[in-house]
Amino acid sequence: MASTQPAPDGTVPVATELLIRFRRLLGDDGVLAAEDELIVYECDGYVVEKKAPDVVLFPTTTEQVSEIVRTCNEFDVPFVPRGAGTSLAGGCLPVGGGVMISLTRMKSILEVNLQDRYAVVQPGLVNLHLTRHLAGTGFHYAPDPSSQGACTIGGNVATNSGGPHTLKYGVTVNHVLGLEVVMPDGQVVEFGGVAEGLAGYDLVGLFVGSEGTFGICTQVTVRLTRDPDAYRTLLGIFETVGDATQAISQIIAAGIVPAALEMMDQGIIEAVEAAYGFGFPLDAAAVVLIEVDGLEVAVDDEAERIIRLCQEQGAREVRRAETEQQRALLWKCRKQAFGAIGRLSPSYCTQDGVVPRTKLPEILEFITDAGERHGVRIVNVFHAGDGNIHPILLFDERDEEQIARVFRASDEILGKCIDLGGSVTGEHGIGVEKLEFMERLFTEDDLDVMASVRMAFNPRGSCSPGKMLPTAGACGMEHIERSHPGKQAAS
Amino acid sequence: MPDNTGEMVPATIPELGRWLAANAKGDRRPVLPVGGRTSLGFGMPADPASVEVATSRLDRVVDYPARDMTVTVEAGCRVSAIQEALKMEGQRLPVDVPLAHRATIGGAVASDAGGPRRFGFGTLRDYVIGIRCATVDGRLFKAGGRVVKNVAGYDLCKLMVGSGGSLAFVTEVTLKLKPLPTSSAMGWACFDSGDTVSDLLGDLSTSRARPVAIELLGPKAARQLTAESRQALPVGPLLLGVAVEGNPVEVEWQVDVLDRELRAGGATDVTWARDADTKKLWSSLTDYQLGGESPVSIRACLRPSRTVDFVVAAIDAGVAVQAHAGNGVIHGHLPDDTIDATTAEEIIGPLRELAAKSGGQLVVERCESGWHDALSIWGPPRGDWPLMTSVKRQFDPDGLLSPGRGIEAAMQQLSDDGMDQQ
Repeated sequence: MASTQPAPDGTVPVATELLIRFRRLLGDDGVLAAEDELIVYECDGYVVEKKAPDVVLFPTTTEQVSEIVRTCNEFDVPFVPRGAGTSLAGGCLPVGGGVMISLTRMKSILEVNLQDRYAVVQPGLVNLHLTRHLAGTGFHYAPDPSSQGACTIGGNVATNSGGPHTLKYGVTVNHVLGLEVVMPDGQVVEFGGVAEGLAGYDLVGLFVGSEGTFGICTQVTVRLTRDPDAYRTLLGIFETVGDATQAISQIIAAGIVPAALEMMDQGIIEAVEAAYGFGFPLDAAAVVLIEVDGLEVAVDDEAERIIRLCQEQGAREVRRAETEQQRALLWKCRKQAFGAIGRLSPSYCTQDGVVPRTKLPEILEFITDAGERHGVRIVNVFHAGDGNIHPILLFDERDEEQIARVFRASDEILGKCIDLGGSVTGEHGIGVEKLEFMERLFTEDDLDVMASVRMAFNPRGSCSPGKMLPTAGACGMEHIERSHPGKQAAS
Repeated sequence: MPDNTGEMVPATIPELGRWLAANAKGDRRPVLPVGGRTSLGFGMPADPASVEVATSRLDRVVDYPARDMTVTVEAGCRVSAIQEALKMEGQRLPVDVPLAHRATIGGAVASDAGGPRRFGFGTLRDYVIGIRCATVDGRLFKAGGRVVKNVAGYDLCKLMVGSGGSLAFVTEVTLKLKPLPTSSAMGWACFDSGDTVSDLLGDLSTSRARPVAIELLGPKAARQLTAESRQALPVGPLLLGVAVEGNPVEVEWQVDVLDRELRAGGATDVTWARDADTKKLWSSLTDYQLGGESPVSIRACLRPSRTVDFVVAAIDAGVAVQAHAGNGVIHGHLPDDTIDATTAEEIIGPLRELAAKSGGQLVVERCESGWHDALSIWGPPRGDWPLMTSVKRQFDPDGLLSPGRGIEAAMQQLSDDGMDQQ
């Protein structure tokens, strides 16, 4: 198990002089360096691998971020940006220690322009705060990760976050028009802008999802989307997981693209019901939350078609959210399902595989088998319409033997996703957790090309080293290695 | 081997890879990837010493799991052929590609082809979920995959869309698909003044109807569209088109709503085309950007709310203009009597300034041969151009792929001119 031991040889200590410089730049209030305070930053939502940074900085301006980066380069210290730390793959783990740049104090909404359908925000803005700010305008920001009450727009940009409604509306990259980025050499560069279709390479599209390895975004211009004219929210209740996944496949195959199509199995329903008391049937094997949106004249018809398809697949019952309160509670249950897991287990590890949508029945069967084979309890709550599974493996982090079994089950599940023509991550990112899968998904040539693209942005490899690609970084950063690679530590 | 026209037409992707590798080690001739030849006029002209490498034989549909709503095709597939195959399953790629019967999907991706429906459905960058390419030295690589949601590795799909064949040779793409609507309608309305249209466009952005395209045409473009589509469209100083798609109930309801809104917004004449009658209009609207015989074609992009100002200024300058008004993307064709580059520059200069002031830019998409050096093709450099040049260098350090055609060439030109102080 990884722990917060003193940094082993080979990591980079932050010199006293560096600390003085940072304090001068940010004030005492903007610098955290005491060991007990740093523990908070030793991991994100991926708790099995930990490493505290040597210092955490809280800049409030782009200029400060740029100055921090220049100073890090001067002292040859690696740096990593961090939003709210909700990543589930170790995306903001400070591999090799060094400086963590927390963007949570850069959280302003700088401009909202409904006429041109964009908003300019700082990266530390919490996703839900933008949603709330826009409420009543008739427009919204479409990506709605389940962690939207905590996660930041900058973090969403880094991981190309999804969310339940991305089935119809697309993921973060489909909603980012422009970025201001502090490059790994400290230069401030603008990509894209308020106009769409600018000539040249789509550096915005490339940057989104680069997991902090191409620079630090300090300003984001996001596209705003019209609120739907109307929606209907349904809950399909199924006797077996197989029936539920077949129904999902049938809905997609019928050419219906609902706004959201989410599944929860019995294990998670039990926890969610205990936490929120929605009235889920505890004896159902699975429930499917389906939302259709569109014109008022069309949504009832679409809802009826979906209800029929569910019934044809043996749904016990399909309920409708009759009031806005019911709908809100239903969505709260879904989005805060992770918060209820504490009722089931002290720790958990969420996987993020993707399969072609028609392979859902097969992968869910495999997950059940894998859980049984390894003696690991697994519950499921996921974006079924996209084929994006989130098996949640429950364990006790104090028991190393259990962790080893969790890793083996996870590996098999993700391996099966690859075999079925899918991917090991739909929205959480590679981070450090899935690095070793990169060589299974991609060839050496694929990875070489990706590494060469990183060279264009981050030639020294000092920005977010050890992420995304299995090679540590670039020239000069060979000394940075993960002090406690999770899997080795646990097996 | 290249045939006697100097063109190389590989039968398979590995063959393409081997040829590129041999070229990189041997003759090191510049390479120009070629699809349906519909966009080769973009940007700067190709190096005449280039070997054209055509994708015409790489035209297999690799995999079409219709129930997953994705399709994987080789780069040389004609866009119309792909759409036909998708139609059989009630699906489509909702991106308008000019000259879809000739254009290949590889070329469409490389040139980021798009048209009116970008308002409702976005652009190719929103649909390419997986890509395979060959580097200029013949290494075959991929990014993305065949599933609709995937964040493993850098999103090189985005990088390749619109890269103009300057980074790598696109060999295969996987696309996300949408259901084919069963009904469509297109309404055309005439307006006397730009201010009236501007106000109406503002109102349309909160209409309960959800148009998939909002087009604004000047009189020259309107006349050409009328002739091309053989539809009787209203005649007036400004012609606004709105299109809706969906099932028949949705379409009729929206036609009612929009018809009322267009008339209330000051339209002097409104006509509607439905279903089969819209087909020719869609293709004419999509192909209009290519510009026919015009000596110079330009493309501006700017804040959507500034579209009408730009359109009016362009009309005043004698430019035939079509705007994807909901997106702020505008195509213009300079008049036939633009006799030389200097005359063209006199028209383009003020429009370029207006585009820049409106948060965007203007590029010259096509011009008469020999005018390229006198006209600034890409306009003034933007802050991210040096980085684009670095990306190009990583893929193609010796500048063998589509050399001299893109922004990196403009950067090179600037530094040669000693203007690049960075």
